[in-house]
Amino acid sequence: MAADVQGRHALIEVREVTKNFGPVTALDRLSFVVRPGLVTGFLGPNGAGKTTTMRVILGLDHPTAGTALVGGQRYQEITWPLHEVGSLLDANALHPGRRARAHLMSVAQSNGVGRRRVEEVLELTGLSTVADRRVRTYSLGMKQRLGIALALLGDPPVLVCDEPVSGLDAEGVVWARELFRSLAAQGRTVLVSSHLMSEMALTADHLVIIGRGRLLADTPIDRFVESNTRSDVLVRAPRAKELAELLRGRGASVRLETDGALAVTGLGSPQIGELAAEHGIALHELFSRHASLEQAYLDITADSVEYRAGRPAEPGKVT
Amino acid sequence: MAAMDVAPVSRRRRPVPSLGLRARGLLASEWTKLRSVRSTFWALVVAGVTAVGGSGVVAISMALSQRGSALPRDPLASIFFAWLEYPVLGVGILGVLAFTSECSTGQIRTTFSAVPQRTAVLVAKASVVGGAVLVLGEALAFASFFLSQAVLAGHASQLSLSRPGEVRAVLAAGLSLAVVALVGLGLGALVRHTAGAVAAIPAVLYLPLLVLSLPSPWADRIGRYTILMSAYQLVSLHRQPGLLSPALSLVVLVAWPALLLAVAAIATSRRDA
Repeated sequence: MAADVQGRHALIEVREVTKNFGPVTALDRLSFVVRPGLVTGFLGPNGAGKTTTMRVILGLDHPTAGTALVGGQRYQEITWPLHEVGSLLDANALHPGRRARAHLMSVAQSNGVGRRRVEEVLELTGLSTVADRRVRTYSLGMKQRLGIALALLGDPPVLVCDEPVSGLDAEGVVWARELFRSLAAQGRTVLVSSHLMSEMALTADHLVIIGRGRLLADTPIDRFVESNTRSDVLVRAPRAKELAELLRGRGASVRLETDGALAVTGLGSPQIGELAAEHGIALHELFSRHASLEQAYLDITADSVEYRAGRPAEPGKVT
Repeated sequence: MAAMDVAPVSRRRRPVPSLGLRARGLLASEWTKLRSVRSTFWALVVAGVTAVGGSGVVAISMALSQRGSALPRDPLASIFFAWLEYPVLGVGILGVLAFTSECSTGQIRTTFSAVPQRTAVLVAKASVVGGAVLVLGEALAFASFFLSQAVLAGHASQLSLSRPGEVRAVLAAGLSLAVVALVGLGLGALVRHTAGAVAAIPAVLYLPLLVLSLPSPWADRIGRYTILMSAYQLVSLHRQPGLLSPALSLVVLVAWPALLLAVAAIATSRRDA
């Protein structure tokens, strides 16, 4: 049905994809949909399967089971896919002896993209003046820009980028962030992976989080923030029980921490302090706590971290 | 779908490009890749110098040893036999690198995401590498011929393109370089590793010659199906005893890279990039 094709034109659909590398299951029945008009942040710890997922979407790896569709088609079935999907997997993946312009030109030719567009993307990524240098002389940041230039060659409605800001300097990170946001604002589908929540918090509208090849979260970023970043006030007082009653009387909710401290939500530190003073209750500690987005992300992926650095043992603590 | 607060870019479905347009684009792309790296230049320099130089040395030594002695029956075959040692390595390595340099750098993933029809990519590579080396090979073959002709002028064994079979021999010498370049490409696509594939070239070219030490008639029965023996027959003016006819030798010579590339295409399509 034509309407259906139109509706799915810029969707990325990952359906029940499993990918085994020998005995290792890299992706385990992973399903999610990436929609147009948004920057979708693809998050997960190292080894979670982000790159493998993108390689399956781009038809580079054959899934053991399941399918990945772009615009309703399997990637392998698309002719001249640069016009449908722009991608950047690894900015270092180019012949170091080739000049940047020739590199772009060779890829452009394979998809019927003209010389003028090559110059346009060089201009867009700020590489025009260095386009005739051999790529071996490029910094990682310049290679990232070249990779983004290549992804944009076909002016595609869908963009898939693996860690596109790693290696960029501060200015480059802001540039890339704004580029992705404006591409999404034009109605394109933008899937950008990162292992850093902090970066995605600034770039993404939607989050897909995976760990050990499984989907952990697929949610708009504001909802993720809302449901995962509780902030509360920690109160320590000798007359904790009495204070708790008073706080509840003011509509706050109070939870007793294991060490006897009160975790209060619904009232800020100033009001709590005032209330205690009114009733002559001494406070030993009054402390606003904010669980960061980063912390929420760490909590969600904690069970699925593949490689974890050992922590130095705490002295005198026997576990 | 859920309401989108950003108006989607209106996009028409792109018309599917014609087969001719796709083929032309792919060939242009591979041609750009081939001529934009320096290794191509050096491989061809090695092939050129060893081809013309090798033939020249053979011709000179022939001219020196011929004073008064009996003329060799087929000087051209001797001159081009020198080709089957060094120039073939230069173009073989060129063929290998056309594929493995993409594997070692990771460029192959860009290539295959731009053109997911991997067999088409391999065919385009084969056309460009094979075509370029064929043109160069023929140029070198005629250069070698005219150099040798000049060296041997006035000696007992003279060369002349008007003699039956000599043009064929010269053309076949050029073709044999293209064949070895394509064998290199096939090996590169199969092994996907430069050192391994380069090492496999002499294995494919020379190891089969071990059968020549088999007791007769087995040496000939198997030996005539090797790349080198069929190439040798094609650059010879006369039918070599025990070898296939020139026509069948040509078939064998072309079948080697064709089969290797076919197997490589199947493997390339099945493997993860």
